[in-house]
Amino acid sequence: MSKEPELAWVSVLQLLSVVWMWVFVLGISGWIIHLIRLSIRLNDMPTASVGISIVAIPVFLIGAGVLTYVYVGLQRGRRDDVDAESSS
Amino acid sequence: MSTSSRETSGQHFEDAELLRPVLQPGSGFRVVTTLLIMVILGAWVIFSRQILYGLGVTGLNQPVVWGFYIVNFVFFIGISHAGTLISAILRLSNAEWRRPITRMAEVITVVVLAIGGFHPVLDLGRPERALNIFTAGRLQSPLLWDVSAITAYFMASTVYLYIPMIPDIALLRDRGAKPRWLYTFMAWGWQGTPRQRKVLDRAVSIMMILVIPVAVSVHTVISYIFAMTLQPGWHSTIFGPYFVVGAIFSGIAALMMVMITLRRIFHLERYLKQIHFDHLSKLLLISSLLWFYFTFSEYLTAFFGNEPSEMRVFYYKFTGPYAPFFWGMVACNFLIPVVILSFRRTRTIPGIFIASLAVVIGMWLERLNIVVPSLANPRLPYPAGFYIPSLVEWAMFGAGIASLMLGFTLFSRFFPLISIWEIQEGREESIPHTIERLEHYLPDPAPAPRSEAAEGA
Repeated sequence: MSKEPELAWVSVLQLLSVVWMWVFVLGISGWIIHLIRLSIRLNDMPTASVGISIVAIPVFLIGAGVLTYVYVGLQRGRRDDVDAESSS
Repeated sequence: MSTSSRETSGQHFEDAELLRPVLQPGSGFRVVTTLLIMVILGAWVIFSRQILYGLGVTGLNQPVVWGFYIVNFVFFIGISHAGTLISAILRLSNAEWRRPITRMAEVITVVVLAIGGFHPVLDLGRPERALNIFTAGRLQSPLLWDVSAITAYFMASTVYLYIPMIPDIALLRDRGAKPRWLYTFMAWGWQGTPRQRKVLDRAVSIMMILVIPVAVSVHTVISYIFAMTLQPGWHSTIFGPYFVVGAIFSGIAALMMVMITLRRIFHLERYLKQIHFDHLSKLLLISSLLWFYFTFSEYLTAFFGNEPSEMRVFYYKFTGPYAPFFWGMVACNFLIPVVILSFRRTRTIPGIFIASLAVVIGMWLERLNIVVPSLANPRLPYPAGFYIPSLVEWAMFGAGIASLMLGFTLFSRFFPLISIWEIQEGREESIPHTIERLEHYLPDPAPAPRSEAAEGA
């Protein structure tokens, strides 16, 4: 695998993609919470709304969490490789 | 997970043909892409009439208020089950033959979900009003469950497609594929170090477990937009599993059609072998039998109940205006695949393609048979309706299929259609792992006879 230094702006773009994922996920979670509040205000079956949100929100959070875990893990893994090379 | 030294050594690269469409794209790519874009643009030009004049330009009417758009929505979402679900199940069960299949399956899911998910918006007389769900959505409506479930599935499937692609993207980066910045950006700094491999393995494991219940729930929830109403022919407790089985069924068929087509275009005969099609066609055969079982149960229950409103829908399909579509569906989903796939002599690759095509057509007819006859024969005492799709609806159906083909064409231009690192891992690690696993399955050695044991003591 290549050991060439990456372009700085590409690294920023990578970080932004993870941030964007969280904006998307938190946006959807916020939207679902807004709909629950709406159903409570209108007394329009809030239990069903809460039931759906209990299933939906964690899926988004896990997806974004896994992606963040991969991003952080790959960056750390790469640093380990660089550290090992410099010590040898 | 391994990144073989063969990748970087500059010597002969065993899987070079998998990179060829990316590194040396032919002129065919531009021709096909241009043609498909023209088809899609043409369809949108025709669709502009609907934007200008509303749903009056479609064949939709009272009482048939859902037609092609919803049929295609359910159909495309069903096909999307091919991918992630099949790929996740095969990975989870350590099926070694999955390796050349999973990537294509996952791509189908992402592309088809995007196409299918857009169809309900087409069905709106005022498409911009789709935005009202952000401010005034009713979360207790099954329609909004669909929005949540499909968005969640799309997100999970995209992550599940992307994560296992990282080593292959890094390979393309290192081989100088252009645009370089794209591969550098998408590779996320992958160097193939042990720590990175461990992270990726763990992430793939989490996603494959997450994606299975999400995929099942998506199609169950889609069935609820029908089953939660009191319409005759829709109000059924088995609609959830019936839709899931149908989705897996059409998904496997679509996957095999894609595999056979791409195998021929990109000369992937060395990777997609008869054995892969044999295994998948057995899954298709089982799905066909399961589909027939559910269909038989569904209609037998309605027939035995003999409820007048149910019987109007029943006879509308069995002997009425929808009889050709209903019996066509039975032939395509049951008779043709069972006859072709049951015999080794006909279970050839052309035979499998014909069976898969029949199933895809049959499952589309099934969606048509579910949506239209129940609306044409409402429970309330109105005269029976009829539905003939207009040019606008046919055009958007064509655009949906063209978009699927365009999605695959673009993907194959930028990424390998077969997971290279998984193939290499298979070569290096799966044989000893499989032997080890087989040894675990076998009974433990018998204990020594008592006399020998006593002598030993």
